[in-house]
Amino acid sequence: MPQYLSVFKDETKLDITYIPGRLPHRDRELRLLMEFFSFILQFPAKMAQRVIIFGDVGTGKTVLSQRFGVDITHEANKLGINLRYVHVNCREYRGSLFLILYHIVSVFHPTFPRRGYSAEELLRILLQILDEENAYVILALDEFESLVERESSEAVYKLTRLQEIRQDKPQRLSLICILRNLKVIEQLDASTRSTLQSNIISLVKYSKQQLIDILNDRVSLAFKPLTVPEDTISLTAEIAFSEGGNARFGIELLWRAGKYADAEDLDAVTPECVRKAVSSIIPTMRKSDLASLSFHEKLFLLGIARIFKEGQKAYISLTDAEQAYAVVCEEFNMKPHSHTQLWKYLQTLSGVGIVETEVSAAGNRGRSTLIYLSRIPIHELEKELSVLLEKEEV
Amino acid sequence: MDVEDVFSSKLRIKILKILMQVGELNVSEIARRLGVNYNTTSKHLKVLEDEGILQHKVFGRIRLYRLNEHSPKAKGVQNLMEAWEHANKQ
Repeated sequence: MPQYLSVFKDETKLDITYIPGRLPHRDRELRLLMEFFSFILQFPAKMAQRVIIFGDVGTGKTVLSQRFGVDITHEANKLGINLRYVHVNCREYRGSLFLILYHIVSVFHPTFPRRGYSAEELLRILLQILDEENAYVILALDEFESLVERESSEAVYKLTRLQEIRQDKPQRLSLICILRNLKVIEQLDASTRSTLQSNIISLVKYSKQQLIDILNDRVSLAFKPLTVPEDTISLTAEIAFSEGGNARFGIELLWRAGKYADAEDLDAVTPECVRKAVSSIIPTMRKSDLASLSFHEKLFLLGIARIFKEGQKAYISLTDAEQAYAVVCEEFNMKPHSHTQLWKYLQTLSGVGIVETEVSAAGNRGRSTLIYLSRIPIHELEKELSVLLEKEEV
Repeated sequence: MDVEDVFSSKLRIKILKILMQVGELNVSEIARRLGVNYNTTSKHLKVLEDEGILQHKVFGRIRLYRLNEHSPKAKGVQNLMEAWEHANKQ
């Protein structure tokens, strides 16, 4: 039996549950979070904290909170403080306060019965457990929107105003509310809003270069050396950037691309593996989009597809594309259109989402337009274009 | 109570076995696992608790039972059960 070779060194490092040791481009936010909770390491019983982390999908909200959770728990345990970080995805618990509280209680008592009491009783039980064990909890409520939608202000009020019903007792429960959009906070009543809104960490969308750094970090952990070329990382980052700067999407895409490389017995993850991977995730190439292109737009696109097919490149220049288009025109006995016309075709192709373009940084020879064929496997594209062009020729 | 009286009951042995496996449980769940009613279960739990083998904690209306980690009797039971399981596996 032939030996199974893989490009992966440890693919679990690309898993959604993996918490990396360092968070590129989120160190400032991590420090801020640590600052907000630094009191826990000195006077854990004296106060409780509430922090909001918000940002779009894939901006690192969850991983930031989890990394913080690991770090602060480690620090607290070193000082002999019984601190637990509990991360709950509210959507997974259907936004139910009862189920969320049950989850926290089950961290301390895994076989605690599921039935026979209300959310209020469960909250009291939780505090009793924390008092008895002299424990403190930082509760991270991920996808906080679900909780607000299902339980409205009431549930959040109970969590944030917990201490008011137990005056002079140690403060046990701090909150991190993780959400995509601050609008949901507007749905809460004024007093709940005011207790929540004092500490807000906003995560902005990652730039392409930041995504490259993040992907490079994960590549070094998950893949064998020299199996993921720079072009592949750049293309993956480009696609992740176009998906709203979504780092998680980029990491998953890289994993999938690695699987394609393994399936084809390749010793490296090529940009084509990324294209195949992305087209398996998002059905981006609609045949109707291709059919609606003009004859010369199709010729131009065929030229672009052929260069990518030959070179295993992540991107090409407009000049490369023009030359390839000239060859295709010769093949089809057509007179090539002008540079300006091709520029317009490129805008059309980009508008439909078949290619993506980027203006390169000014180099020795000035700026030039780079073309990415991000989401479409070349073989599929070339085949489809050939069929359409043959039909039109007839 | 003498040792033969405590261990003369199959249900009590089963309770100890269950609690050794899962750590702690409420009365209803122990009753469900034993296949007997709540009152019978409570009665046997009381015997084991009076002997210091079990202890319980109250959370609102919930009572969670577990082996009493400070009791030499509980330790003895634990050793016996482990030895039994180990020998049966061989």
